Amino acid sequence: MTDYGHDLLFGSFITPTNTAPDRVVALAQLSERVGLDLATFQDHPYQPRYLDTWTLLSWVAAVTERIHVAANVTNLPLRPPAVLARAAASLDLLSGGRLELGLGAGGFWDAIEGMGGRRLTPGQSVEALDEAIDIIRGIWDADDRSRLVVDGTYHRVDGAKRGPAPAHDIGVWIGAYKPRMLRLIGRKGDGWLPSLSYVASLQDLADANAIIDEAATAAGREPRAVRRLLNVGGQLTHAASDRLLVGPPEQWAEQLAALTIEHGFSAYVVMGDDPATLTVVGQEIAPAVRALVDAERGTASGPGVPRSAN
Amino acid sequence: MDYGHPLLLGTFLTPTNDRPQAPVELARLSEDLDYDLVTFQDHPDQPRFHDAWTLLSWVAARTTRIHLAPNVLNVPMRPPAVLARAAASLDLMSRGRVELALGAGFFWDAMAGMGVPRLTAGESVDALREAIDVMRGIWAGDAGSRLRLDGEHHRLAGAAGGPAPAHNIPVWVGGGRPRMLRLIGETADGWVVPGGTASLRELAAGNDRIDAAAAAAGRDPREIRRIANVSGRFADTRDGFLVGPAGQWVDELLPLVVRDGVGTLVLATDDAEVLRRFAAEVAPALRAAVDAERSTAGTAVGSVPSIHVRVRRRDGVDYAGIPAGLREAAVEPGDAVYPTVRSGYLRGGSPGLVLRVHDAAEVADALAFARRQPVPLSVRSGGHGISGRSTNDGGIIIDLSRMNRIEVLDATSRTVRIEPGARWGDVAESLHPLGWALSSGDHGGVGVGGLGVAGGIGFLGRRHGLTIDHLRAAELVLADGTAVRVSETENPDLFWAVRGAGFSVGIVTAFEFQADEVGDVGFAQLVHDATDTADFLQRWGAAVEAAPRDLTSFLIIGRPREGRVLAQTMTVVDSDDAETILARLQPLANLAPLLGQQVRITPYAGVVTAPEGAHEGQGEPVSRSGLLEHLTPGFAQDAARLVASGAAYWFQVRAMGGATGDVDPDATAFAHRSANFQVVAMGASPARLDAAWDAMRRHFTGLYVSFETDTRPERLLDAYPPRTLARLRDVKRRYDPENVFRDNVVVEPSAGTPSAGTPSAGVELRAAVPRTGAVTRAVVERGASATMPE
Repeated sequence: MTDYGHDLLFGSFITPTNTAPDRVVALAQLSERVGLDLATFQDHPYQPRYLDTWTLLSWVAAVTERIHVAANVTNLPLRPPAVLARAAASLDLLSGGRLELGLGAGGFWDAIEGMGGRRLTPGQSVEALDEAIDIIRGIWDADDRSRLVVDGTYHRVDGAKRGPAPAHDIGVWIGAYKPRMLRLIGRKGDGWLPSLSYVASLQDLADANAIIDEAATAAGREPRAVRRLLNVGGQLTHAASDRLLVGPPEQWAEQLAALTIEHGFSAYVVMGDDPATLTVVGQEIAPAVRALVDAERGTASGPGVPRSAN
Repeated sequence: MDYGHPLLLGTFLTPTNDRPQAPVELARLSEDLDYDLVTFQDHPDQPRFHDAWTLLSWVAARTTRIHLAPNVLNVPMRPPAVLARAAASLDLMSRGRVELALGAGFFWDAMAGMGVPRLTAGESVDALREAIDVMRGIWAGDAGSRLRLDGEHHRLAGAAGGPAPAHNIPVWVGGGRPRMLRLIGETADGWVVPGGTASLRELAAGNDRIDAAAAAAGRDPREIRRIANVSGRFADTRDGFLVGPAGQWVDELLPLVVRDGVGTLVLATDDAEVLRRFAAEVAPALRAAVDAERSTAGTAVGSVPSIHVRVRRRDGVDYAGIPAGLREAAVEPGDAVYPTVRSGYLRGGSPGLVLRVHDAAEVADALAFARRQPVPLSVRSGGHGISGRSTNDGGIIIDLSRMNRIEVLDATSRTVRIEPGARWGDVAESLHPLGWALSSGDHGGVGVGGLGVAGGIGFLGRRHGLTIDHLRAAELVLADGTAVRVSETENPDLFWAVRGAGFSVGIVTAFEFQADEVGDVGFAQLVHDATDTADFLQRWGAAVEAAPRDLTSFLIIGRPREGRVLAQTMTVVDSDDAETILARLQPLANLAPLLGQQVRITPYAGVVTAPEGAHEGQGEPVSRSGLLEHLTPGFAQDAARLVASGAAYWFQVRAMGGATGDVDPDATAFAHRSANFQVVAMGASPARLDAAWDAMRRHFTGLYVSFETDTRPERLLDAYPPRTLARLRDVKRRYDPENVFRDNVVVEPSAGTPSAGTPSAGVELRAAVPRTGAVTRAVVERGASATMPE
C-alpha cells in the first residue's frame, strides 16, 4: 500500500477526431467548465482521421483559461525532441504555465516508418526516449550556461542554444508498461501515465509502481517525485456493480479513492468523450474522491486551494 | 509584369517570447485593422522566439477572419508528413485560413546544433521539393491510400492519406537562387521574395526565371502569387525607400504591384502605430491606385487556379462563368475538400461542381447558372437521398448544407423556421430545451430539406403523424428563379405539392413547422430470434397496430446467419414514465425469444443524433419501398422468403398509421394515408431484388418515394395515385414546365405515360452499404434507464 500524497487531478481523454473539430474543442472547454484539471489528447500523427495533436493543444489552450493540457502521449519518433522542447516551452509561456508533456516511445512502427520516421526496436526506442528527455530538459534549462551536448545514438544536439525556460516546471509524464520504460520513469520522469485498459490486474499496477520506486531510489530520487496518473474508462449506471468504474458516482468515488490510497495514483483521466460522464466526474466524483482521500490522509484541503498540476 | 492577383496586405510580426502575448496582440490588431494575412518567421533554433507553429495555432484560435502563414517555415526541422497533417488540421480548425510558406533552411550551423543533418544549398532545394511532394500527397490522399515516395531526403512508406484541408492550402516558397526559382516556377503556388530592399530590385529578374520555369512545366505564370515583405518608417519628409509620408509609401509600393507583379505585400513591423498608419493611410490609397492603374492598363484581375485544379475540370461546366457570389464557396474536382462533398450517404458521386449556397438569392443564382450548363443538376440538403440522388457524375450540385439555421418564430404556437441544410439530429437537439420535437425519420444525419418535402415516417409518427403534416408554410425558389412563399393561403397549390413531392416543384429554402410538445421518451432496442420470420412479422405487426398511438416501432431483419434470423426492433414510447414504457413494450418483448435488450429514457434528441463526418457512399443504392395496411399472412410469408433468399441485405418495416391516417389523402401530395406500415428492402443486385420484390407488390397499396430507386415508369403511379398525379402534373406544368427538378422521382409535366428520366437501373452495379448508426447506437447513457422484466 503506497500513497505518494500528491494532490488529486481529474482530466478528460478526448478523441481528436478531425471531422468535427468544434466538438473536440467544445469537449475540452466543457472539461474546464465542469471543474476538471486536465484536457488530454492522444497523439497519432500517422492517423489521418485525427487532428494534429500539437496544433490542437495550442488551439485548446488558447480558448481556455484554467485547465491544463497535455498530449496523452506525444509520439516522440515523429516529433524531433529539440523542436518539441521549444514548442512546449512556447505553449507553456503562451498559456501561462498550463502545458504538461506526455511522452511516449512510439509503438506502431509500421505506421511511423510509413510517415518517414525511423523504425526502432522497443529497446532502442527506450534509449531514444532517454536521450530525448535529456535534450528536452537541456533546452528548458535556460539558466545552465554550459554548452548543451547530448551525443546520443538516436538524437543528438551539439551546441544548441538553451531556452526559453517554460512558465512552470512542465511535468514530463511518460506512458509505459514494460520494465525498461518504468525504470526510465523512475530515473527521469515526473509522471507515469498508463491506461487501465492496458493492464491485466491491479497487481500489475502495484508491480510497476514498485519498479518505478526502486529505480527512483537507485537514482537518488524520492519515489514521490513521480506522480502516478491513470487513464480510465468506465460507465455510469444506476445500479452498483462489482466491476471497476461501472456503477453510480458514489461507487466511482470509492474506487478511485481506493486506487489513490492503496496504489498511489493521483490523477484520473477519463476516456469516452461523453459530456454527461465528464460532467459527473468533474462536479460529483472529483469532489467526493478528494473528500474521501482527505479523510483517509487526515488532511483537509478546503475548496479553493489552488492545485498545481505537478 | 502584373499578374493581376487581387492585392492582399499582410503583417510580418516578430515572434518574440519575452512578453509571450505580445505577438498575439499584434496579430489580433492586424485582424482588427483589416489586414488579410498575419505571418511569423520560424527559427526553431532561436530561443528568443516562439515556436512558429504553436504561435500560429494559438493566433488562429484567437482570430476569426485573418489568414495565417509562417514566413517562412523551416522545413528541415519539421518532418514533412507530420507538418502536412498539422497544416491540414489548422486549416480545418480555422476554416481555411492557412497559407503555407516554406523555406529550405538557412542558418545551417544553428540547425546542425539542433540535430539536423547538414545539407548543401542544392541538396536543401531537392529536399524541399520532396517535402512538398510529401505534403501534397498527404493532402490529396484518402485514409485508404498507402502513399509511397522514395526520395533522397524524405520518404513515405505506406502512409495513409488525408485529411483534406478545408481549402487548397497554397504552398509558397521563399528563396532567390536560380535553382529555387526553378522549383517555384515548376511547382509552387507562390514566391516569397527574400527580404531587403536589394531583393526588391531583383524582382523582375526573379519573375523572369520563375515564369520561364512555369511555362516550361506547362503552367500559367499567373498561378504563382508573388509575396514581398516590406518595411519602412513614416516620416514627415522623404528619407529613403519607404521612409517618408504615407503618400510616398503609396507611390513606392504601387510599382511593386503593377510593374513587378507582387500580389501580397507583407508589412514587417512590431510597432502598432505603424500597423495603424499603414492600414489607415497607405492601404486604401494603394488599393485605389492599383485599381486605377489596372483599369487603365486593362489588366485582368483574378486568380488563375493551379494546373492541378484545371486538369480535373469536367466538360460542360463553364467554370469561368460561376457567378462571383458563389465562387468562393464553390468546390470543383481539383479542390482539397472535394472528397468530402462528392458523395452521399449511400451513393458515390463525381460532380463537376458543387455550389454551396447560403441564402435564397444564392439558390436562385446557382439555379440560373446550373440551368445554362448542359449537365445534370442535383440538389442536396443532408446527402442521404436515395430516390433524391443529391449527387451525380459530371454535373452540378446545389448544396444547401450551409443553410442550416433553426429559429423559433412563435413560442406560443411552437412555430419554428428551419432551413433545408439543417439535419434532423440538429433540429432535435435545438428543440429539446424547449420541450418540443418534430418527428422525422430514423436517422439524425438526414437533412431537413429532402425529408421535409417527401413525407417523413419517423419515430413519433403514430402519435404525431408525418413530418410534412407539421408544415405550416415554406419559402421556395422556383425553376425560373422566383422566390415564393407557400401556405394554406399563399400559393396553396404549391403548398399542397411541397408536402410529398416538393423535390419536383422547386428548392425549399425555409420550412415553417409547428413542433409538438414532447418530453423525454422511452427508447427500446430489442433483439429477437425471428428464425420463424413470417410468424414474427405477423405478430409484430398485430402488436404494433394494437398498441396505443404513443408507441412507434421500426423493425429491421438482416440476412440469415448460420440458419438463424435476428430481428432488431427500435421502439419509441412517447412517455417519460417508466411504468408506461414497460407496459407498452411488454407485448413486443413477448413476441419471440428475446436475445438482447436495451431500454432507456432519453430526450428524443438522443434517439436521432446527427453524426459528424463526410459521406463516403460508393456505388448506387438499390432500394425498394412498399406501403401496406396490415402485415397479412401472405405478405409475411413473401417477406420471410425474401429475407431467407439473401437478396436483401437490409429489410425494414416502419410503423405508420395512427395520426398519419388522420389526414385527408387529398390534403397533401402524400396520399397514402391508409397505410399502417412502410417496408423497405435494399439489395446489391436490382435484378435479384426485383425478382423477389415484384412478386410482393400485390400486397402494397403504394410506395414511399424516398426509399425507391426503381425507375420503371409504373413506379410513379405507385408513388402518386392517379388523382394525386394529375394534380401534381398540373402544378408541374405551371411551375416547372421544362422539368428542371428531375433529380428525384421524375414527374414529367406533360400528360401521358409516366416516364423514367433518371439514370437507368442498369447502372446499379455495386451495393451501397448504409452506415447503420441507428443499429449500433451507443447506449452508455446516464439518466433513468429501465431494465426489461424477463
